[in-house]
Amino acid sequence: MRAYVVFCHPTHASFIGAALERVLAGLGRAGHEVRVSDLYADGFRPELDQHDLAVHRIDHRVHPERRPDISRYVENLQWCDTVVMVYPTWWSGQPAMLKGWFDRVWVTGVAWDRPDGTNRTTPLLRNIQTLIAVTSHGSSKVMNALEGETGKRTLTRALRSACGVRCHTRWIAFYTIDRSNHSARAAFLDRVEERMSKL
Amino acid sequence: MRAVVIVANPNPSSFSHAIAARLRGGLEASGHNVIVHDLYAEGFRAAMSAEERQAYHGDVPVVDPLVIEHITDLRDAHTLVFVYPTWWSSLPAVLKGWLERVMVPGVGFVFDERHKVRPGLTNVKRLVGVATYGSSWRSVKLINDNGRRTILRALRLSTSVRTRSTWLPLYGMDSLGVSDRERFLVKVDRLARSL
Repeated sequence: MRAYVVFCHPTHASFIGAALERVLAGLGRAGHEVRVSDLYADGFRPELDQHDLAVHRIDHRVHPERRPDISRYVENLQWCDTVVMVYPTWWSGQPAMLKGWFDRVWVTGVAWDRPDGTNRTTPLLRNIQTLIAVTSHGSSKVMNALEGETGKRTLTRALRSACGVRCHTRWIAFYTIDRSNHSARAAFLDRVEERMSKL
Repeated sequence: MRAVVIVANPNPSSFSHAIAARLRGGLEASGHNVIVHDLYAEGFRAAMSAEERQAYHGDVPVVDPLVIEHITDLRDAHTLVFVYPTWWSSLPAVLKGWLERVMVPGVGFVFDERHKVRPGLTNVKRLVGVATYGSSWRSVKLINDNGRRTILRALRLSTSVRTRSTWLPLYGMDSLGVSDRERFLVKVDRLARSL
Protein backbone atom coordinates (compact mmCIF):
# COMPACT_ATOMS: atom_id res chain seq x y z
CA MET A 1 0.00 0.00 0.00
CA ARG A 2 1.10 3.55 -0.68
CA ALA A 3 -0.01 5.90 2.05
CA TYR A 4 0.24 9.67 1.76
CA VAL A 5 0.01 11.30 5.19
CA VAL A 6 -0.93 14.99 5.34
CA PHE A 7 -0.25 16.57 8.71
CA CYS A 8 -1.82 19.89 9.61
CA HIS A 9 -1.12 21.40 13.01
CA PRO A 10 1.03 24.44 13.92
CA THR A 11 3.11 22.32 16.30
CA HIS A 12 4.19 18.70 16.72
CA ALA A 13 4.06 19.17 20.50
CA SER A 14 0.31 18.57 20.49
CA PHE A 15 -2.17 15.70 20.72
CA ILE A 16 -2.43 15.72 16.92
CA GLY A 17 1.38 15.64 16.73
CA ALA A 18 1.27 12.52 18.93
CA ALA A 19 -1.43 11.07 16.65
CA LEU A 20 0.87 11.59 13.65
CA GLU A 21 3.62 9.58 15.37
CA ARG A 22 1.19 6.71 15.95
CA VAL A 23 -0.15 6.87 12.38
CA LEU A 24 3.41 6.52 11.09
CA ALA A 25 4.19 3.75 13.60
CA GLY A 26 1.10 1.79 12.53
CA LEU A 27 1.77 2.22 8.81
CA GLY A 28 5.43 1.27 9.38
CA ARG A 29 4.46 -1.90 11.28
CA ALA A 30 2.31 -2.98 8.34
CA GLY A 31 5.20 -2.36 5.95
CA HIS A 32 3.41 0.22 3.83
CA GLU A 33 5.24 2.75 1.71
CA VAL A 34 4.72 6.16 3.28
CA ARG A 35 5.14 9.77 2.23
CA VAL A 36 4.43 12.67 4.57
CA SER A 37 3.61 16.34 4.01
CA ASP A 38 3.65 18.74 6.94
CA LEU A 39 1.77 21.80 5.69
CA TYR A 40 2.83 24.18 8.46
CA ALA A 41 6.49 23.09 8.34
CA ASP A 42 6.42 23.48 4.54
CA GLY A 43 5.18 27.04 4.92
CA PHE A 44 2.35 26.20 2.55
CA ARG A 45 0.32 29.25 1.50
CA PRO A 46 -3.37 28.41 2.09
CA GLU A 47 -4.87 31.56 0.57
CA LEU A 48 -5.99 30.99 -3.02
CA ASP A 49 -4.88 34.31 -4.55
CA GLN A 50 -5.66 36.33 -7.63
CA HIS A 51 -3.11 34.45 -9.73
CA ASP A 52 -4.57 31.09 -8.65
CA LEU A 53 -8.01 32.36 -9.58
CA ALA A 54 -6.80 33.53 -12.99
CA VAL A 55 -5.41 30.05 -13.81
CA HIS A 56 -8.39 28.25 -12.24
CA ARG A 57 -9.56 26.84 -15.58
CA ILE A 58 -6.12 25.88 -16.84
CA ASP A 59 -5.48 22.14 -16.79
CA HIS A 60 -2.57 21.45 -14.45
CA ARG A 61 -1.40 18.51 -16.61
CA VAL A 62 -0.92 20.83 -19.59
CA HIS A 63 0.59 23.78 -17.71
CA PRO A 64 2.18 22.58 -14.46
CA GLU A 65 4.44 25.65 -14.50
CA ARG A 66 1.44 27.87 -13.72
CA ARG A 67 1.22 26.46 -10.21
CA PRO A 68 4.86 25.71 -9.34
CA ASP A 69 4.46 25.46 -5.55
CA ILE A 70 1.93 22.61 -5.62
CA SER A 71 3.84 20.10 -7.75
CA ARG A 72 5.21 17.99 -4.89
CA TYR A 73 1.72 17.59 -3.38
CA VAL A 74 0.27 16.70 -6.77
CA GLU A 75 2.95 14.08 -7.31
CA ASN A 76 2.19 12.50 -3.93
CA LEU A 77 -1.57 12.53 -4.55
CA GLN A 78 -1.05 10.76 -7.87
CA TRP A 79 1.40 8.26 -6.35
CA CYS A 80 -0.67 7.05 -3.38
CA ASP A 81 -3.66 4.78 -2.98
CA THR A 82 -4.48 5.99 0.52
CA VAL A 83 -4.58 9.52 1.93
CA VAL A 84 -4.41 9.97 5.70
CA MET A 85 -5.16 13.48 6.93
CA VAL A 86 -4.13 14.19 10.50
CA TYR A 87 -5.53 17.45 11.88
CA PRO A 88 -7.52 19.06 14.69
CA THR A 89 -11.17 19.93 14.00
CA TRP A 90 -11.77 23.66 14.40
CA TRP A 91 -15.20 25.23 13.93
CA SER A 92 -16.52 21.78 13.00
CA GLY A 93 -14.22 21.42 9.98
CA GLN A 94 -10.67 21.17 8.68
CA PRO A 95 -8.27 23.96 9.75
CA ALA A 96 -7.95 26.81 7.24
CA MET A 97 -4.45 25.60 6.36
CA LEU A 98 -5.82 22.22 5.24
CA LYS A 99 -8.87 23.80 3.56
CA GLY A 100 -6.46 26.00 1.61
CA TRP A 101 -4.56 22.91 0.56
CA PHE A 102 -7.80 21.55 -0.96
CA ASP A 103 -8.51 24.91 -2.60
CA ARG A 104 -5.05 25.23 -4.15
CA VAL A 105 -3.87 21.65 -4.79
CA TRP A 106 -7.05 19.76 -5.69
CA VAL A 107 -7.41 21.76 -8.91
CA THR A 108 -8.44 21.08 -12.48
CA GLY A 109 -6.13 18.54 -14.06
CA VAL A 110 -5.31 17.10 -10.64
CA ALA A 111 -8.56 16.30 -8.85
CA TRP A 112 -11.08 16.87 -11.60
CA ASP A 113 -11.47 17.53 -15.25
CA ARG A 114 -14.21 19.06 -17.34
CA PRO A 115 -13.99 17.48 -20.79
CA ASP A 116 -14.54 19.94 -23.66
CA GLY A 117 -18.14 20.59 -24.54
CA THR A 118 -19.57 19.08 -21.36
CA ASN A 119 -20.80 20.66 -18.19
CA ARG A 120 -19.92 17.70 -15.99
CA THR A 121 -16.74 17.22 -14.03
CA THR A 122 -15.00 13.86 -13.96
CA PRO A 123 -12.81 12.66 -11.08
CA LEU A 124 -9.08 12.32 -11.74
CA LEU A 125 -7.75 10.93 -8.45
CA ARG A 126 -9.12 7.47 -9.20
CA ASN A 127 -5.90 5.97 -7.81
CA ILE A 128 -7.08 6.91 -4.31
CA GLN A 129 -9.03 4.03 -2.80
CA THR A 130 -9.15 5.14 0.82
CA LEU A 131 -9.51 8.58 2.37
CA ILE A 132 -8.86 8.70 6.09
CA ALA A 133 -9.21 11.46 8.66
CA VAL A 134 -7.55 11.21 12.06
CA THR A 135 -8.86 14.15 14.04
CA SER A 136 -9.80 15.56 17.44
CA HIS A 137 -12.80 17.64 18.48
CA GLY A 138 -13.00 19.97 21.46
CA SER A 139 -16.72 19.32 21.83
CA SER A 140 -18.85 16.20 21.96
CA LYS A 141 -20.16 14.12 19.09
CA VAL A 142 -23.68 15.42 19.69
CA MET A 143 -22.46 19.01 19.61
CA ASN A 144 -20.65 18.28 16.35
CA ALA A 145 -23.82 16.86 14.85
CA LEU A 146 -25.60 20.10 15.79
CA GLU A 147 -22.78 22.12 14.25
CA GLY A 148 -23.25 20.27 10.98
CA GLU A 149 -20.20 17.93 10.89
CA THR A 150 -18.73 19.85 8.00
CA GLY A 151 -15.29 18.24 8.31
CA LYS A 152 -16.73 14.76 7.93
CA ARG A 153 -18.95 15.84 5.05
CA THR A 154 -16.06 17.53 3.25
CA LEU A 155 -14.18 14.23 3.41
CA THR A 156 -16.96 11.77 2.63
CA ARG A 157 -18.71 13.80 -0.04
CA ALA A 158 -16.69 16.64 -1.53
CA LEU A 159 -13.18 15.12 -1.57
CA ARG A 160 -14.45 11.63 -2.27
CA SER A 161 -16.15 12.93 -5.41
CA ALA A 162 -12.64 13.46 -6.88
CA CYS A 163 -11.58 9.87 -6.17
CA GLY A 164 -12.64 6.54 -7.61
CA VAL A 165 -16.24 5.33 -7.29
CA ARG A 166 -15.11 2.59 -4.92
CA CYS A 167 -13.15 4.95 -2.68
CA HIS A 168 -13.79 4.26 1.02
CA THR A 169 -13.62 6.81 3.77
CA ARG A 170 -12.57 6.20 7.36
CA TRP A 171 -13.38 8.60 10.16
CA ILE A 172 -11.11 8.14 13.18
CA ALA A 173 -12.10 10.86 15.60
CA PHE A 174 -11.59 11.68 19.24
CA TYR A 175 -14.42 13.78 20.68
CA THR A 176 -14.61 16.00 23.79
CA ILE A 177 -10.86 16.30 24.04
CA ASP A 178 -11.25 19.41 26.23
CA ARG A 179 -12.71 17.31 29.04
CA SER A 180 -10.82 14.08 28.40
CA ASN A 181 -8.45 12.39 30.80
CA HIS A 182 -5.03 10.96 30.11
CA SER A 183 -6.14 7.35 29.80
CA ALA A 184 -8.87 8.15 27.23
CA ARG A 185 -6.32 10.02 25.11
CA ALA A 186 -3.80 7.20 25.39
CA ALA A 187 -6.47 4.67 24.40
CA PHE A 188 -7.34 6.71 21.32
CA LEU A 189 -3.69 6.91 20.25
CA ASP A 190 -3.41 3.13 20.65
CA ARG A 191 -6.50 2.72 18.51
CA VAL A 192 -5.01 5.01 15.82
CA GLU A 193 -1.87 2.87 15.59
CA GLU A 194 -3.89 -0.34 15.57
CA ARG A 195 -6.19 0.88 12.79
CA MET A 196 -3.25 2.04 10.68
CA SER A 197 -1.41 -1.25 11.08
CA LYS A 198 -4.46 -3.12 9.78
CA LEU A 199 -5.17 -1.08 6.67
CA MET B 1 -27.00 49.94 14.27
CA ARG B 2 -23.79 48.49 13.08
CA ALA B 3 -23.46 45.99 10.23
CA VAL B 4 -20.22 44.14 9.54
CA VAL B 5 -19.75 42.62 6.08
CA ILE B 6 -16.94 40.11 5.59
CA VAL B 7 -15.88 39.53 1.96
CA ALA B 8 -13.57 36.69 0.90
CA ASN B 9 -12.66 36.84 -2.77
CA PRO B 10 -9.12 37.45 -4.08
CA ASN B 11 -10.28 39.31 -7.18
CA PRO B 12 -11.22 42.95 -6.37
CA SER B 13 -13.49 43.10 -9.43
CA SER B 14 -15.26 39.84 -8.58
CA PHE B 15 -18.98 39.29 -8.35
CA SER B 16 -18.54 38.91 -4.56
CA HIS B 17 -17.33 42.52 -4.51
CA ALA B 18 -20.32 43.65 -6.56
CA ILE B 19 -22.53 41.90 -3.99
CA ALA B 20 -20.66 43.61 -1.13
CA ALA B 21 -21.15 47.03 -2.77
CA ARG B 22 -24.92 46.43 -3.05
CA LEU B 23 -25.03 45.24 0.53
CA ARG B 24 -23.31 48.40 1.70
CA GLY B 25 -25.75 50.59 -0.22
CA GLY B 26 -28.81 48.71 0.97
CA LEU B 27 -27.67 48.50 4.59
CA GLU B 28 -26.86 52.22 4.68
CA ALA B 29 -30.30 52.94 3.24
CA SER B 30 -31.85 50.94 6.08
CA GLY B 31 -29.95 53.03 8.64
CA HIS B 32 -26.91 50.89 9.37
CA ASN B 33 -23.42 52.05 10.06
CA VAL B 34 -21.63 49.65 7.69
CA ILE B 35 -18.11 48.29 8.02
CA VAL B 36 -16.87 46.15 5.13
CA HIS B 37 -13.85 43.94 5.74
CA ASP B 38 -12.29 42.72 2.50
CA LEU B 39 -10.11 39.91 3.84
CA TYR B 40 -7.82 39.61 0.82
CA ALA B 41 -7.35 43.39 0.46
CA GLU B 42 -6.45 43.60 4.15
CA GLY B 43 -3.93 40.77 3.76
CA PHE B 44 -5.75 38.71 6.37
CA ARG B 45 -3.83 35.46 7.00
CA ALA B 46 -5.82 32.23 6.80
CA ALA B 47 -3.73 29.96 9.00
CA MET B 48 -3.62 30.14 12.76
CA SER B 49 0.07 30.46 13.64
CA ALA B 50 1.92 28.45 16.29
CA GLU B 51 2.11 31.62 18.38
CA GLU B 52 -1.65 32.14 18.11
CA ARG B 53 -2.32 28.50 18.93
CA GLN B 54 -0.16 28.93 22.03
CA ALA B 55 -2.02 32.12 23.02
CA TYR B 56 -5.45 30.56 22.33
CA HIS B 57 -5.72 28.94 25.74
CA GLY B 58 -4.08 31.84 27.59
CA ASP B 59 -5.47 35.06 29.07
CA VAL B 60 -4.99 37.07 25.87
CA PRO B 61 -5.88 34.80 22.93
CA VAL B 62 -5.09 37.35 20.20
CA VAL B 63 -1.71 38.53 18.95
CA ASP B 64 -2.38 40.06 15.51
CA PRO B 65 -3.47 43.78 15.53
CA LEU B 66 -5.64 43.14 12.45
CA VAL B 67 -7.56 40.46 14.34
CA ILE B 68 -8.01 42.89 17.26
CA GLU B 69 -9.52 45.41 14.83
CA HIS B 70 -12.02 42.80 13.59
CA ILE B 71 -12.95 41.87 17.14
CA THR B 72 -13.50 45.53 18.08
CA ASP B 73 -15.78 46.03 15.08
CA LEU B 74 -17.83 42.96 16.00
CA ARG B 75 -18.40 43.98 19.63
CA ASP B 76 -21.55 46.00 19.00
CA ALA B 77 -22.50 44.67 15.58
CA HIS B 78 -26.20 44.06 15.09
CA THR B 79 -25.84 42.45 11.67
CA LEU B 80 -23.10 40.14 10.43
CA VAL B 81 -22.91 39.27 6.73
CA PHE B 82 -20.58 36.89 4.87
CA VAL B 83 -19.96 37.08 1.12
CA TYR B 84 -17.86 34.39 -0.53
CA PRO B 85 -17.50 31.97 -3.45
CA THR B 86 -17.90 28.28 -2.54
CA TRP B 87 -14.80 26.13 -3.04
CA TRP B 88 -14.76 22.41 -2.27
CA SER B 89 -18.29 22.69 -0.86
CA SER B 90 -17.19 25.14 1.79
CA LEU B 91 -15.73 28.50 2.79
CA PRO B 92 -12.54 29.77 1.15
CA ALA B 93 -9.61 29.00 3.49
CA VAL B 94 -9.21 32.69 4.36
CA LEU B 95 -12.80 32.83 5.67
CA LYS B 96 -12.42 29.55 7.54
CA GLY B 97 -9.27 31.09 9.03
CA TRP B 98 -11.21 34.22 9.98
CA LEU B 99 -13.47 32.03 12.14
CA GLU B 100 -10.50 30.31 13.73
CA ARG B 101 -8.50 33.47 14.40
CA VAL B 102 -11.26 35.97 15.27
CA MET B 103 -13.80 33.72 17.01
CA VAL B 104 -11.45 32.91 19.88
CA PRO B 105 -12.41 32.38 23.53
CA GLY B 106 -13.98 35.59 24.85
CA VAL B 107 -15.26 36.58 21.39
CA GLY B 108 -17.07 33.73 19.62
CA PHE B 109 -17.82 31.98 22.88
CA VAL B 110 -17.29 32.52 26.58
CA PHE B 111 -17.04 30.19 29.54
CA ASP B 112 -19.52 30.57 32.38
CA GLU B 113 -18.68 30.01 36.07
CA ARG B 114 -19.23 26.25 35.66
CA HIS B 115 -16.79 26.30 32.74
CA LYS B 116 -19.49 25.55 30.19
CA VAL B 117 -19.31 27.07 26.73
CA ARG B 118 -21.77 29.93 26.16
CA PRO B 119 -22.39 32.02 23.02
CA GLY B 120 -20.21 35.11 22.71
CA LEU B 121 -21.86 36.92 19.81
CA THR B 122 -25.21 37.57 21.47
CA ASN B 123 -25.17 41.17 20.18
CA VAL B 124 -25.54 39.84 16.60
CA LYS B 125 -29.27 39.72 15.85
CA ARG B 126 -29.08 39.09 12.12
CA LEU B 127 -26.72 36.53 10.59
CA VAL B 128 -26.59 36.52 6.80
CA GLY B 129 -24.70 34.56 4.15
CA VAL B 130 -24.55 35.48 0.46
CA ALA B 131 -22.76 32.61 -1.24
CA THR B 132 -22.05 31.88 -4.89
CA TYR B 133 -21.64 28.36 -6.24
CA GLY B 134 -20.15 27.06 -9.48
CA SER B 135 -22.36 23.98 -9.17
CA SER B 136 -26.07 23.65 -9.64
CA TRP B 137 -28.52 23.50 -6.73
CA ARG B 138 -28.77 19.75 -7.22
CA SER B 139 -25.04 19.02 -6.96
CA VAL B 140 -24.65 21.41 -4.04
CA LYS B 141 -27.33 19.45 -2.15
CA LEU B 142 -25.73 16.15 -3.17
CA ILE B 143 -22.19 17.09 -2.12
CA ASN B 144 -23.48 19.07 0.91
CA ASP B 145 -23.26 22.75 1.54
CA ASN B 146 -20.58 22.88 4.19
CA GLY B 147 -20.14 26.65 3.95
CA ARG B 148 -23.79 27.20 4.79
CA ARG B 149 -23.59 24.62 7.58
CA THR B 150 -20.53 26.30 9.07
CA ILE B 151 -22.21 29.70 9.23
CA LEU B 152 -25.86 28.82 9.87
CA ARG B 153 -25.17 25.98 12.29
CA ALA B 154 -21.68 26.20 13.86
CA LEU B 155 -21.45 30.01 14.01
CA ARG B 156 -25.20 30.40 14.60
CA LEU B 157 -24.70 28.58 17.92
CA SER B 158 -22.42 31.44 19.00
CA THR B 159 -25.14 34.04 18.51
CA SER B 160 -28.29 34.74 20.51
CA VAL B 161 -31.27 32.34 20.60
CA ARG B 162 -33.28 35.16 19.04
CA THR B 163 -30.84 35.74 16.18
CA ARG B 164 -32.50 35.48 12.78
CA SER B 165 -30.48 34.00 9.97
CA THR B 166 -30.84 34.37 6.23
CA TRP B 167 -29.13 32.56 3.37
CA LEU B 168 -29.03 34.01 -0.12
CA PRO B 169 -27.43 31.55 -2.57
CA LEU B 170 -26.59 31.93 -6.24
CA TYR B 171 -26.20 28.48 -7.83
CA GLY B 172 -24.67 27.55 -11.16
CA MET B 173 -22.70 30.82 -11.35
CA ASP B 174 -20.55 29.59 -14.24
CA SER B 175 -23.45 29.25 -16.64
CA LEU B 176 -25.29 32.49 -15.78
CA GLY B 177 -25.56 35.52 -18.00
CA VAL B 178 -25.28 39.20 -17.14
CA SER B 179 -29.03 39.61 -16.66
CA ASP B 180 -29.20 36.68 -14.21
CA ARG B 181 -26.43 38.26 -12.17
CA GLU B 182 -28.11 41.66 -12.24
CA ARG B 183 -31.35 40.05 -11.05
CA PHE B 184 -29.45 38.49 -8.17
CA LEU B 185 -27.91 41.87 -7.23
CA VAL B 186 -31.43 43.31 -7.05
CA LYS B 187 -32.31 40.54 -4.58
CA VAL B 188 -29.18 41.39 -2.57
CA ASP B 189 -30.19 45.03 -2.46
CA ARG B 190 -33.73 44.17 -1.37
CA LEU B 191 -32.40 41.90 1.38
CA ALA B 192 -29.97 44.57 2.66
CA ARG B 193 -32.73 47.16 2.82
CA SER B 194 -34.90 44.79 4.85
CA LEU B 195 -32.26 44.07 7.52
